[in-house]
Parts: sequence; C-alpha cells; structure tokens
Amino acid sequence: MSAASHASRTAVRERPSLLRRLLRSDQLAGWAFVTPAVILIAVFALIPIGWSLLLSLQSNNLIAPPHYVGLANYKALAKDPAFRSAIGHTLVYTVLFVPISVGGALAIAVALNRRIRGIRFYRLAVFIPLVTSTVATGIIFLWLLDPTFGLVNYVLHLLGLPQQQFLQDPNQALYCIVAMTVWSWLGFDVIIYLAALQGIPEDLLEASEMDGAGRWATFRSIVLPLLGPATLFIVVWSTINALQLFDEIYVTTRGGPLGSTTVVVYYLYQQAFQFFNGGYGAAIAYVLFVAILIVTLLQLWIGRKRVYYSS
Amino acid sequence: MKRLILLPLLAAALALSACGGSSSTGSSSGASSSAKSSGGSTGGHTTITLWEGYTETEATSIKALAAEFNKSHPSITVNVQFYGNNDYALQKVLAAIAGGKPPDISYLYGSWAPNIATNPQVVTLNKLIAQDPSFNWNDFWPAERNVATVNGKIIGIPALVDNLALVYNKKLFKQAGLATPTPNWTWSDFQNAALKLTNPAAKQFGWAYVNDASEDTVWRFWALLWQAGGSILSPDGKHAAFDSAAGVKAATMLQTLAAKHAIYLDNGSDNYLSVFNNGHIGMLYTGPWDLSQIVQAKTDYGVTTLPGDANHQTISGPDNWVMFNNGAARTAAAWTFLKWLTSPAIDLKWATMTGDLPIRASVAKLAGYGNFTKKYPGIATWASNLANATQSRPQLTVYPKISTAVGQAVQSVLLGRAQPQQALSQAAQQVNGILAAPG
Repeated sequence: MSAASHASRTAVRERPSLLRRLLRSDQLAGWAFVTPAVILIAVFALIPIGWSLLLSLQSNNLIAPPHYVGLANYKALAKDPAFRSAIGHTLVYTVLFVPISVGGALAIAVALNRRIRGIRFYRLAVFIPLVTSTVATGIIFLWLLDPTFGLVNYVLHLLGLPQQQFLQDPNQALYCIVAMTVWSWLGFDVIIYLAALQGIPEDLLEASEMDGAGRWATFRSIVLPLLGPATLFIVVWSTINALQLFDEIYVTTRGGPLGSTTVVVYYLYQQAFQFFNGGYGAAIAYVLFVAILIVTLLQLWIGRKRVYYSS
Repeated sequence: MKRLILLPLLAAALALSACGGSSSTGSSSGASSSAKSSGGSTGGHTTITLWEGYTETEATSIKALAAEFNKSHPSITVNVQFYGNNDYALQKVLAAIAGGKPPDISYLYGSWAPNIATNPQVVTLNKLIAQDPSFNWNDFWPAERNVATVNGKIIGIPALVDNLALVYNKKLFKQAGLATPTPNWTWSDFQNAALKLTNPAAKQFGWAYVNDASEDTVWRFWALLWQAGGSILSPDGKHAAFDSAAGVKAATMLQTLAAKHAIYLDNGSDNYLSVFNNGHIGMLYTGPWDLSQIVQAKTDYGVTTLPGDANHQTISGPDNWVMFNNGAARTAAAWTFLKWLTSPAIDLKWATMTGDLPIRASVAKLAGYGNFTKKYPGIATWASNLANATQSRPQLTVYPKISTAVGQAVQSVLLGRAQPQQALSQAAQQVNGILAAPG
C-alpha cells in the first residue's frame, strides 16, 4: 500500500501512473460498462467457438474420450456426397428466400406506408407471424399442407385444380419451406423498410414531383436509392439466416422426404446428434462459418460501392 | 422410444457437448462436499441423485416411489431431479460428467446404449447382477435385456418397455361388414381388410404408417421383416441381410397398400392419432403410449397382436436406467434403489399408477395384476405381446446411420419412387459400407 502510494507520488511529478491515468480517464467507466457483456459473450460465444474448432480436429462421439485426427474431418467432408447435396439444397433455398422476402417486404412496406383506414391492423397482421413460435408455425403449415385433410388442397379442389403432396413430395418440399419461411420472416423486413421509408424527407419527394417525375420514376430514382442502407442490412441479415436454416426443417420435414430438405445445418445436426460424429459436425459448422463470412464480406463490399448514404 | 416434440438450441448444445467431450477425464470420485445438491455419503448415510424427464402422472409417481423408498431405507436418500425433456438427457448427462458431478442414475433412451457404453464413467452391472440371484435378470423380457447389453456389458436396468400391437376401430369394421382382427390374422387377412376399409372419397384409410424416414419408419419395417422370417444383419453382424426375399415381401406389402391409397402416410408429427380418433383410419400399428388419448377420444377400439406371415413377431423399444460412478458408497446405494424400484411388486405399483407396461414377466403372476389390466383396457394385449418381441435391433454405435439408410429406402417405396428390391439393395449396399468403415 505504502509502496504504491509512494510510487504514485513520485509518478505525479514525472508522468501519471497507469492506474491513475485509468482512474482519471473515461476509459475505466467504459470498460466497466462493457465488461459484463464481454464476459457473457466470451463464455457463451467465444469459448464455444474455440472449443468447436478443437472439436473439428478430433474424432469425438461426444461421449467417450476424444482423439486428435488433424484435418481428417475436413478431408472427409470434401468427398461427402451427402454434404454436397446439403449445400445444393441450402443454395437453392437461399437464392429463392432472399430475393422473395426482400422484394416482398419492400412491396408490402410501400403499400403500408400511407394513411389509410385500419393501417395499424394491416401492420399488425404482417408482424404477427414473426412473433409466432417456429413450432406453432410448423404445425400450422403441416396441417395447411396436409395432402388429405389440408386447407390448401381443399381450395385447389374447389378451383378444380389437381391435388398436391406438398411437404410429402420430394420435388415440392423445399419450395414449401421457402413459402413458409418467407411468410414467417417477412414481418421483420417490413418493419425495417417501413422505418426507412418514413425517414425519407418529404421535401425530396415533393421536389421530384415538381420536377415532373411520375410515381414510378420517383420510386426508382429517389426512394429506392435512399432505402439502400436498409436493403443492404436486410439482404445481409436474410442471407445469414437462410444459410443457417434449421428450426423450420426440424419441426416440419426433418430433412425429408428422401433427403430433399436436408440443408447444411440439418445435416450438421444429424451428424453430431444422431450419428454421434461430434468432430465431423463441428467441421461442418466451421465450413459453414467461413462460407457465411465470405458471402457477408462480399455483400458488404458490393454495398460499399453501390449503396448511397445520404448523410 | 417415447417421442417428445423438441426444439434444440443447437448452438448451445454443441457448445455444451464440445466442452463435455474434450474434458471427460474428470474426477470419478465426485464432490461429496456438496452433498445437498449432488449427493454424497457421510457417516453411513448416502445421498444419491436420480435424473428423469417424466411429466404428469409419471412425474408424480416417481417422486411418490422415491419418498416411499427413502422412508423404508433410512440410510439412503434418493433425490429425484427433473432434467427436462428426455430427448436432451444425453447431452445434459455428458455435460455433468465433464463437470465432475454426474447423477448417480439417469433415465436414458435405449437407442443410445451402444454409444453410452463407450463412456468410462458408466457403471457396468454384470458383477452386481451375477452376485445377486434374487435380482433374477432373466425375469426381464429378452428385448429389454438385449437393449441393456452392449458387447456382453450390461450398462443399464430396464426403465420402460413397449411394443407394437394392432389397434383397430370397431365401428369402421362393422360399417365395412368385416370381422374384427384376431391374433391368428395373416398378412393377406390384414391387406384385404385394409383395402376394404379404404375409401378415398370419404378420406378413409385402412392403415397408417409413419413416413418421415426416421427410426419411427424403420422399426415398423423391422417388425414386418421379422414376421416374414428375415433378419436385419447377417449372423456375424458384418453384412446387411434385410434385402432378402423376406425384406422384399415386407416392402412389397407397403408398396401395394400405398399405391392403392390404403395407407395414411404420417409426416412424423403423429397426426395419425387424431385422424384415427376422428374415424378416418381403420387400423394402427402402435404402442401403449397412444392408449390414453384413444380412450379419451371415446374411440370404440380393440387391440390384438400384429398380423403374421411366418410368425407374429413385434418390436420393442426399451429405455434404461443407467448408473454413473460417483464412488463405491453411492454406487452401492444406487444399485439398492434400482433393485427396489424394478422389483416385481414395486413395478406393478408403478404400472398401475402410470399405465406403463410391466418390465418383468413375473409381474403378470402377482395378485394385483388383474387390477392393472382392468384399469387400462387393452393393455393386457401389449403386456403379453412382449413375448413376441424376440428379436432386437443390432446394438451398434453406427445403428443410427443404418436406420437412416433403411428409412430412405422404405420412404422411397411408400412414395412410389422405387421398387422394393431396388430400394432395399441400394440401402444394403450403403449399410455394408457403414459396417465396413473403421471406428
């Protein structure tokens, strides 16, 4: 104690001690505020991320003591046809899900961005699927799309159209999953777009009207560019979500029928928790992580070139 | 094989298992200092922990039985702890082992047994069972003993047993002018009835089959395969044998009935039960777990053994109580408790409280057995049907992979995407590859 105070006393003359500098500066308060969050993130995110990297280099059934196998899991992945078809399903899903949900959300947000009677009801209606639990959504769609007792086939029957097998048809199941997830996630994108639309200054819209621009031209040249940052966020966010699709598959098709909806994360789950190949599952997780990182960086790079930031 | 709907927090689970897997060399002595929560042994008194995932009646029953045991065994206290959904039990137990404080006893699915057996913390029970003739291991049904035994090591005591029997809707049989099924029914009796009970216009099906390509699809197929005289693997366990004539015969029955829309194809969400209770399905292959809902729906039902071809075999999916090593005193206490819990008299008490099937053959000879069968009409058929569960699934760590390959084959036949022989041969080829792979 005395040594410390002596040290600080001598330090005052020359240069404030580290402790003193810390106490005086704003940094201490800053660190105090972020420490709890940093600890939580470390325990629940960073440490598991490190562990699973280790896990991916092991032969580990998650039960018996593991042993180190180097890159064997990654080498096996490169030759695994089931993994390749899981990637294929994930890509098809992502390529459909992202444009449909972003485009759909934009259209709905524009439609909802006006003063009409009952607008709150419509906005609520769009948002409700998002707060509905995935399990409930899954069960609703299983019944709606049931080939025998489902409402959708009943409507098709009334219209004189042929009956479909939907989730039980290997050629249709993935598209049904696209429809289901677009329905349940659309509300989030719509909220973001609505907020962005309401942030567009009225004077810009008026100016373009006075310049003689039609509604379509205004939308294309004024509204759309100003929605750029929102669009970039939604595209990045939806892409990450799409590449990590799991819950909806788990509660409806469980990767079937005939593996037609086995996406990458579902395959990971199968390997790690059904086949007891923990190391292999972790390797899949790492491949997916790197893929998502690359896709996201690419999107942000394109975004930097193309997106207009008004400020 | 009790299936519960679940929603895994995948990332969290993987993280937990990652930690568990990498440091599972944890101490085997346990931490007896924290005796209150995790169990311990001080001054001749031993406290042990039992983990279970029971809900409703079973949950109150296990607590009542543990309290009864604690009263009659003053030197032991059994703490019953609910660990949530049974589906997560394995991950939680593994995390607890890694943390050095596993439960002394845990309820674990039978299908995990071959993998659990690879963990050094699991107590092997052969010696304890051999030293105690009064335990009478052979009183448990063969299907139960098979699932508790991995390469000769007994790693668990049966906790639950079930099997598939034929449940039928009496009203639909009367409407179709059909005689109700008998225990002597053959496959052709069954197919004829299934077709006569089918009426697409009325959305009525003769039969239902779980078609999600999971083990739920596969184990029903094994029952058919065994009935036709087939077997899953060759006697040496090194090759697939389900692509035999018997297998093709079983798959062909599925193909024929599915092509004629006589089967309600369940997508794995167990909708078949409400469809059956609404009078749209004539017959089900199902177990006692569906009984309470069928009774509640006031369906006029009957239960009999499965129709036979070469024989009337069924399949059973037992679960186990698995013991983990926390030192000699606690292992001894856990063994004392399990012996008591699975003794015929206590098991009959449990069965009467919960409607679960008795896990020992001799329970049927006890005086109170009549009350049990009276309380749950139809249960006696499932109980006696355990004698028809003579074969079991192979006890292999790679069984889940085998199941997946066969599940795809059965599903492709049911969907009319492949011919029985072609589908089974392809699956057999995959299974041979799985069996040949090292590790």
